[in-house]
Order: sequence, then structure tokens, then C-alpha cells
Amino acid sequence: MDWSLFSLGAAGWGDELLYGLGITLALAVLSFLIGTVAGTLFGLVELHAPRPLAALFAGYALVMRSVPELLVIFLTYYAAGFVAERFLELFGISTRVSVSAFAAGVMALAMVQAAYTSEVIKGAVRAVPGGLLEAARALGMRPVIAFWKVTLPLAMRYAFPGLANLWMVVIKNTPFVSAIGVTDFIGQAGTAGQNTKHYFAFFLAVLLVYLVISGVSMIGQLVMERRLFRHVPTAGS
Amino acid sequence: MLMDFETALGYLPVLLDGLIQTVWLTALTLVIGAAIALPVAWCRNADSTAARAFAITFVFVFRGAPLLVLLFLIYYGAPDLPIIRQTVLWEAFREPVFCAILALSLNSAGYLSEVIAGAVRAVPRGEVEAARVAGLSRFSVARHVILPNAARIGLRAYGNEVTFVIKGTSVASLVTITDLMASANRVYYSTFDPFTPLIGAGCLYFLFVLLLGRTINALERRLSVGNA
Repeated sequence: MDWSLFSLGAAGWGDELLYGLGITLALAVLSFLIGTVAGTLFGLVELHAPRPLAALFAGYALVMRSVPELLVIFLTYYAAGFVAERFLELFGISTRVSVSAFAAGVMALAMVQAAYTSEVIKGAVRAVPGGLLEAARALGMRPVIAFWKVTLPLAMRYAFPGLANLWMVVIKNTPFVSAIGVTDFIGQAGTAGQNTKHYFAFFLAVLLVYLVISGVSMIGQLVMERRLFRHVPTAGS
Repeated sequence: MLMDFETALGYLPVLLDGLIQTVWLTALTLVIGAAIALPVAWCRNADSTAARAFAITFVFVFRGAPLLVLLFLIYYGAPDLPIIRQTVLWEAFREPVFCAILALSLNSAGYLSEVIAGAVRAVPRGEVEAARVAGLSRFSVARHVILPNAARIGLRAYGNEVTFVIKGTSVASLVTITDLMASANRVYYSTFDPFTPLIGAGCLYFLFVLLLGRTINALERRLSVGNA
């Protein structure tokens, strides 16, 4: 293998690839954070809101989980500007809105992430023992306080493994945004391959870096789970 | 408005042609993915350390690698290798459909082998031992005890996996295959209306996922008869 392909500077493609990797990581982190916050709210709406509203959000989650990510990305990219313009027209503002491919990619991946997150959150909240909540209420806690002090801390622990899995899903969904022209990691590798005719070397490098990211994420998950569950007695201790 | 029904009706045959491609890709991936996953799952539960190490590495690589990266490595990258370019393998690797199904099957096998291996491990040991003691051969035990039990346990996870395969087939549109996703984009390029074809394609994907999901759920219920 010709390592000079990956050198930094004008001669090699190292710096272009690193730039693409940065875009990919930014995309993953942003869409994970936005999607997790939105999905948590969606999950709580599904659990506690009146029936029609809860059904609406459940339907959203079902559709989002059944349709290819690639389609969601294309549709968001084509539609985002159009929808924003119509929205502004409601307020009498008539202007062209163009949404960058990166922003559309973040939005699309966050929408998908939110749909999966709401499922995880619902399961985690339901897993909190009812007796604990009754005890909290019996002690005189108002529902909001009981939710904040009892349900949430426990549900967060139950949700953690599911959310960690979804982080991996987001990472593995990032290459799809290259289809709308984001110069992400795989997009840059494609450009490098096109110019040098060494597709195999570049795409193999991309694959290996993704494997490192998922390996590091798995280790991080184990370390954090050990910390989160340190008070829970295990069979060994 | 967002949906234009005249466009939708006029271009529905184009989308349906794409859907047929998507159904084919899904079916072939499910079959070939399972054919790859079975031996890997067997290795995963084997006594030999080497076999287990192989299975764990296989799962780590094909579950950890994004589907699109795997596809591009095979589709764009494989022709760089003399062993593919200069042998009979080239006849297969020059076909986008072959590359897409190979990438999809390897990716699916990564997930599926864990589902199968986990389901087989979950079969109660006592039942297997009882069947052996009763004089059933190894094959009969596998056929009459492990298989029905494991199918019952693994079917729900398999249903999820099938959904991922259906969604995954859309990457084929990025290597010149006119599946449902590509057909929708084609209608967009010729009508300049992105919403009608993409939302239409979304509905078709949704129906396909729903239909297959329902079928697998029904199968699971049928298999669980007599098991509380």
C-alpha cells in the first residue's frame, strides 16, 4: 500500500480526509444530541399526553423507523427550504431560504434518532417500579417533584444501554449524508479515490476508522455503565 | 400543495417498478444473509476458541462498518485488487446488483448471526440433555428440540432485522440500481416535484415493512401456541 496517499498537505489526501472525519463527527454529535433531547420529549408525550396527541407522536416514530434513512435525508434536504419559506409567509415574510446540506443532514438524522429514542425512553420510564412512585407520593412529593427526583434518575439508568446503542446507530447512519453532497468522511474518500484511482485504499481506511470509532464507543459504554450501576450489587461482588 | 395526485398516479408505475427491485434485493439479501449467518452463529457457540474468535471478529467488522462504506469498498474498491480484476471474479464484481447484495448480506449476517447464536444459547439446557438421554441423535435434537425452540425465541429479533434489511436496500440506489429510492429520485428529476415521489416511495416502504413485520409477528404467535 502506498502510504503517501494519506500524507498531509498538497501531495496527499490526509488533511482532506481529516476534514471529512471532522464533519462526520460533528454531524454525529449534533444529530445525536438534538435527537436524544427531542426523542425524550416525544417519549414523555407518548406516555403522558392525551390520547390523540400521544397517538400522533407514536405514529411519527413508527413511520420514521420504517422508512429508509436515505429517503428521510433526501426529503429533508429538498423540503427544508420550501417548508421554511411557507412558514415565514404565514408571518408575511417572503424570502428565499436555502438550507445547507450539512444542516439538512443533521435535521434528518436527528429526526430518525428522535423516533428511536422515544421508544427507549418509554421503556425506561415504564421500568421504574410503581411502588417507588407511590412511596414518593405518600411522602407528600408533588407529581412533578416525584418525576424529577425518582422517575428521571432511575429511568436515565435504564435508558443508558439503549441510548448507547443508538449512538452507534447514528454513527453508522452518517455516511448517508454524502448522498446529498455533504463533504463528510466517505464523501472525501470518494473524491480522493476519484482523483488517484486508489478507491480501495481510501474506502478501506474509512472502514477501519469507523471500526475504531465503534470499538472506542463500546469501551466507553462499558466504563460508563460500570459507573452508572456501581451501586447495584452484581453476582460477582 | 405538497402532494400532487396527478403526478402520483402518472408516475405510480415507475415507483412500482422500483418497488419490485427493492423486494428482490430484500429477498435475496435475506436468503444469502441467512446462509452466511448460520455458519458464523455455529462458530459463535462452538467449543473451539479459534472458531469463536472468528465469529466475534466477523460480527465486530460487519456490524461496526457502516453499510454504505462496505458497499463503496466492494463496488469502487474491489476492482483495484488484481485478484478480482484479473480473474473470473470480475464477472460478478462488475455487476452493481452483485456488489449491493454482497454488502447487504454481509451487513445483515453480522446482526443475524448474533440473533441466531443468542436464540440457540437461550434454549434450556435441560431439554437438550433430556432429548439426548432419550436416545435422539444429534441431528434429531437439532431438528426437533433446538430449532423450534430457537425459532420461537429469535423470531422477534429477526423481525427487527428484516426491517433493517428493507431500509438498507435503499443504498443500492447509490450504485446505479433503480430500486424504489432511485425511482423516486428519477421522478423528481423529471417533474421538479420532490415531494410527491418521495412521500409516495415512503408510503410504499412503510407498507412493505408493515406487511413483512405483520407476517413475522403472526408466525411468532403461531409458533408460540402452547407456550404461555
